[in-house]
Parts: sequence; C-alpha cells; structure tokens
Amino acid sequence: MFKKLLALLMIALLVFSLVGCGSNDAPADTGSDAEEADAGLGFKIGLATSTVSQNEEEFRAAEKMVAKYGADVIRHVTYPDRFMQEQETTIAQIVALAADPEVKAIIVVQAVPGTAAAIDRIKETRDDIAFIVGNPHEDPDLITARADIVLDVDQLTRGRSIVEDAQKMGAETFVHYSFPRHMSYELLSQRRDIMKNTAAELGMNFVEVDAPDPTGDAGIPGTQQFILEDIPRQVAALGKDTVFFGTNCAMMEPMIRSIMNEGAIYTEQCCPSPYHAYPGAFGIEIPADKAGDVDFMLAQIRAKVAEGDNTGRMASWAVPASMAMVEAGVEYGVLYAQGQVDKFDEAKMAQVLAEVTGTEVQVESLDGLPNFLMFVAGLEIF
Amino acid sequence: MDNHLQIEEIKVKKQTNVERIMGFIVPIVFIVLCAVGYYLSELPFIFVLNEVIIRLGRNSFLVISLIIPVIAGMGLNFGIVLGAMAGQMALIFITNYSLEGAGGLLIAILVSTPVAIVFGYLVGRVLNKAKGKEMITSMILGFFSNGLYQLIFLLFAGTIIPFKKEGLLLSTGMGLRNSVDLAGVRYAMDDIIKIRPYPGLTVPVFTLVVIVLLCLTLTFFLKTKLGQEMRTVGQNMHIAQVAGINVDRTRIIAIIISTVLAAWGQIIFLQNIGTLNTYGSHEQVGLFAVASLLIGGASVTKATYRQALMGTFMFHMLFIISPMAGQNLMNDSQIGEFFRVFVAYGVIGLALLLHAWQRRGKK
Repeated sequence: MFKKLLALLMIALLVFSLVGCGSNDAPADTGSDAEEADAGLGFKIGLATSTVSQNEEEFRAAEKMVAKYGADVIRHVTYPDRFMQEQETTIAQIVALAADPEVKAIIVVQAVPGTAAAIDRIKETRDDIAFIVGNPHEDPDLITARADIVLDVDQLTRGRSIVEDAQKMGAETFVHYSFPRHMSYELLSQRRDIMKNTAAELGMNFVEVDAPDPTGDAGIPGTQQFILEDIPRQVAALGKDTVFFGTNCAMMEPMIRSIMNEGAIYTEQCCPSPYHAYPGAFGIEIPADKAGDVDFMLAQIRAKVAEGDNTGRMASWAVPASMAMVEAGVEYGVLYAQGQVDKFDEAKMAQVLAEVTGTEVQVESLDGLPNFLMFVAGLEIF
Repeated sequence: MDNHLQIEEIKVKKQTNVERIMGFIVPIVFIVLCAVGYYLSELPFIFVLNEVIIRLGRNSFLVISLIIPVIAGMGLNFGIVLGAMAGQMALIFITNYSLEGAGGLLIAILVSTPVAIVFGYLVGRVLNKAKGKEMITSMILGFFSNGLYQLIFLLFAGTIIPFKKEGLLLSTGMGLRNSVDLAGVRYAMDDIIKIRPYPGLTVPVFTLVVIVLLCLTLTFFLKTKLGQEMRTVGQNMHIAQVAGINVDRTRIIAIIISTVLAAWGQIIFLQNIGTLNTYGSHEQVGLFAVASLLIGGASVTKATYRQALMGTFMFHMLFIISPMAGQNLMNDSQIGEFFRVFVAYGVIGLALLLHAWQRRGKK
C-alpha cells in the first residue's frame, strides 16, 4: 500500500512541478512589432499548422508570423502528427480557435482531413470568420464549398512542367512513388495521369512504384526505409538518368539522400521549396541571423550538391510554397479583419502572394471552382 | 489477547477504507488531471462541456459495440473496423442515390445491417478457428480488410460497381474520391430532437436517448437465454460445451451483434462529423474505441456499459483539453503537441496500470 501511495505521490509531484515550471515562463520576447500589434489591432487570427515532424516549413512560417504580429494576435495551434487517426482532435483544435470571439480569420495549412468538418461546425455559430486553407487533403469540391479561399500549388500544371524539366536535366526515365490513399486525391491522381501522358509525348519511360503508406501499419519509418532501399535498386535497373518524384513529404529526405548517392536526377519535392527536406537531407544548419533567408539556403544547397558531384541534376523552387501559403493566409486574414478586403478577393490574394514571396507568382483558379487558387513559381537548378 | 484482536480489527478497517479509495482511484486521478488540464487549457467552460457532449453522442455507440464479445470471452473486438466499413459503404450508397435526411439515414442503417451481418459472420468463423488469440486475429483482420476495402473502392468503383452521382468518382472514372460530402445526412439523427439550453451549448437529445436505449437493451439482452449462454461461454468454453451450448454458434452471434452495432455506431459518428474520409474514417475506430473502454475500467474479460460511457467521457475529455493545456504549459505549440501525445497516451497506460492494481488488490 505504501508503495502505491508513493507512486501516486510521485505522479502528483510530476504533474504539479510541470505546472509550476511551465506557466511562469513569460512568452518569448516577440520584438517591437509585437508590442505595437498588441496595442492596437483588436482582433486575433487563428492559425493551425503541422508540427515540425510532418512538415517543418509551415511551422517555421507560423513562428515567423507569431513573431511579426505577437502571440496575442496570432493564435497558433498544431494538428496531430497522426492526423489520419486523430481527426477528432484536428476538428477540436480548429473549433477551439473560434471559441474566442476576437478571432476573425482562421488559416489552416495543410488542410488535413477534418478541416471541412471543423469549418462546418464553426459556421453553425459564427459567420464573421474568413477561412483560408492551404494544401487541402480533402476533395476540391468539398473544401471549396466551405473555405473562403483555398490555396494550393498548381498540381496540374506541375504534372507537365516536372516531366519537361526532368527531360531538360537529362532524364530518360521517370519514377513516380505514391500509394493508393494518395492516388484517391483527385488532383494527385490527375497529376499522375498528366505526367504519364507527358512522359509518353516526350519519349520517356514512366514507371509507377507503390510505396508503403506512411499512415499505415509501418508508419513513416516504413515508408522512408522503403525509399532508401528502393532508389538504389531502381537506379541499378534503369540507369543513372532516372528522375524520381514522390507524392508524400516524409519520402523527401531519404529520397534526396539516395539520389545524391546514386547520382540520379531530382526536379522538385512534393511541396516544392528550398526549405523542404533539403536542409535535413544534407545536414544544413541555419544560423539564427539567416533564418528565412532564401538566398542563403539556395547557396548552401548548391554547395552541397557540388560536393556530392551532382551539379545540374538536382533542383527545387526558389519560392517556398507552403511557407508562402501560411504567410499569405495570415496577411490576407489581417486585411480581412481590418475590413480592407472581402472574404474572397482573387486579385488581392495574388497581390499578397507576390508580396510574401517577393517574386511574380502566377495565380489561376481550378476549373469551375473560383476560390480554389493555384500558383506556380520558377525552378532553381543547383 | 483481546487487545491483539482489536488491533487486528482496526488494521482490517483501515485497509478497507484505503481500498474504498483505491476503488475509485482511476476516476480520481482522471478528475485531478482533467481539472489541472482544464485550468491550463484556458478554454471556455461552455466550449469544453459542449465538446464533451458532442463526443459522447458520436462515440458512445461504437464503444458499447465492444461489450458483447468481451462478455462472450472473445476479448476486445478490433474487428469492429469491419463494422465501421459496412456503415461507410451504406453511407456511400445513400450518397450515390442522393438520399437525404432522417429517411436517408434510416436507409443507410438498413443497408449496412446485412453487410455487417455477413462481415460479422466471416470474422466469427475466423475467430472460432483462432480461439485464445481473438484480439490479435481481429486486429490483423482489420488491416487485411482495409486492403480489400481500398481494392474495392479504388479499383472496382466505377469499373465494376457503377456510380451515378457526379463528384463521387475520381475524374479518371475509376476509384472513389478520398472524401465524400455527407451534407445530406449531416445531423440527420442529432437534429430529430436537439436542444440549445445555453448559447454555445447544443445537446443532441435524440442521439443520447438512443444510446441510453442501447444500454437498456443490452442489459435486458444479457438476461435472456442467449445472453446467459454468452456469459457461460465467456467463463469457460469447455463447460459450456458440456452443458449443451453450441459454443461456436454463440461466439459467431456475439461477433455479428458487435459488428452490426459498430456499423450503426459509425453511421451515427459520421452523420455528426458531416464528411466521410473514404480511406481513413474507419482506421481510427478500433483503437480509440478499445482505449475508451479500457480507461473506463473494463478488462478483456469483463465490461459493462457504465464502464463504456465513463471511459468515453474520460478519454475524450482528455483529448479535448490536452492540446491547449500542453501548448499553454510549454509556451510552444509544437512541444505542446508532443506533450499532449505523451500525456494522453501516458494516461491511458496509467489507467490500465491502476486497474490492474485494483484487480490484484481484490484477489
């Protein structure tokens, strides 16, 4: 009995010590911008992103926005890493944002399953909130009916451009890694078909390979291990002039590493950006003063690619797409909360996107769905 | 001599007092944790209350569907994933024919029942061949059937199985899209009787009444001849066999009931959510329902509806408050998420441990 009570006491101590330590920490100093913001904005923006384990960029972009506007203005939450299983938690996290009457806009990047249901729930009680979602996992028809603006990279245009770029970089064979669940995503499966047709047009081989689903029984490690083992196999069979493309974020790091080792070709990530997977795969450290410095990152990657003797055979977008979605979403949300713009204004969104990326961005809407905005940016070959 | 006896008596009395507290140790630990979590999460009380009621409404049915196989000695039926699939198939069916409202939902329930019975029968047959290993077998059956489910809806849909509603199939004409809009039946059941006693608070009375009815039916069912036979089979298959009970048949019936209830439970769950995640919605069902039931104090050999309801309440309470509590505690939304996973699943482990302690204490 004594032991039991002791164990309980330890648990209680642990809990209370955590409480004691945690809540006393003042929020990190967010700089003068934040103080200004606290003083006068009078509204809040809700922001839901992944943690760094699924896709680091969105989280870092969110941190940047929190630093810019202050933690009191940007209420940043994360959805579960196991978002396919814990859909109810995603819904609760997003709905909890709207429980604060000062929240005027909610941005969700990536819009994982559950986002549409959460928007439905919020709309039951609030009609003043603008919803801007990026990289939707749910069906375009379904999500555009609920969110005010849906942002995504132009998957269909990419279906063509990736294959064309690959050929320019010397590829003769195109390998497409995916799994059934992703191929049930309307845009991803359409893109796969476009890639296949483009490859046929250009006289390239197209090889479709099934990888394990990272949300399945083997999890992310299972997928990553498969990619690490399979790329050398494919290169041995198909030759070095093979370009690899995968539809899932978790595949990217092992893919870049193996391609580098094997001297194969890589045009861009699933979510194109210099920050996505390249730093992790190459072990690039970002000093604090270079955080968010795209040119620095591009130079670092170029140096690493040259070190690995694969120059001219690896590439990515110069613009970090997911980060742009987070930042553009927040900036648009702020404009909306200030009453400067309606819930949906395509021209304004295009302008905001151009501002946050610092380059010209082509924005187009999906056929029949005017608020599904897609954009592409130029390729940077290292 | 007398003195000695008295001391002994006092010792016994003391022990029973402590034991009495130990009897409620899981709820006590939970209430403390939830109170601390609630304080830290800074969420409005009404929001938390509303969220808990909604989750009780949508999850209880699924959790309760696990009870019968436990009583029949088959452990926790991870095979309810198959029931959930049957429910989803029925929902896809009614969406395809644009059947809406409470009527549509009723048709979904009717359509799902025979499918679930067939699934339950097959699972029951397999589990009868794997006596003593029912839990892991049913879990693997869940994975296996997920593969079949993907095959049917990604490959056969549109090619062998015709679909008429536009926007349900991928634009290639083969395979179902990854999400199905259930706007037609959204809240179809909850809305039959729904009260809003306070701004921000919605109580789906009808759904809750249905759950209470299910609990009552279950209690009644266990008193019938078949229910008693299930208990007997659960206690000792051999004795049941000798006593003239058809053990295999009883076990199959238990699994069929569980699978059918799971199908209905999944329909109730999804009519509340409003969107069907075609290839994902059923995946979460098995594990979370089992976790809820275990937290409530059930074991692989004993489960009651009280434990099911209590467990659902505690499990979801923790899942509602832990993300914000973690975030506020750590001042970082990311570490908050890791902390939440650690606490939420850690507490499930703790609950299991405490229940094991209690049972050992009773022996």
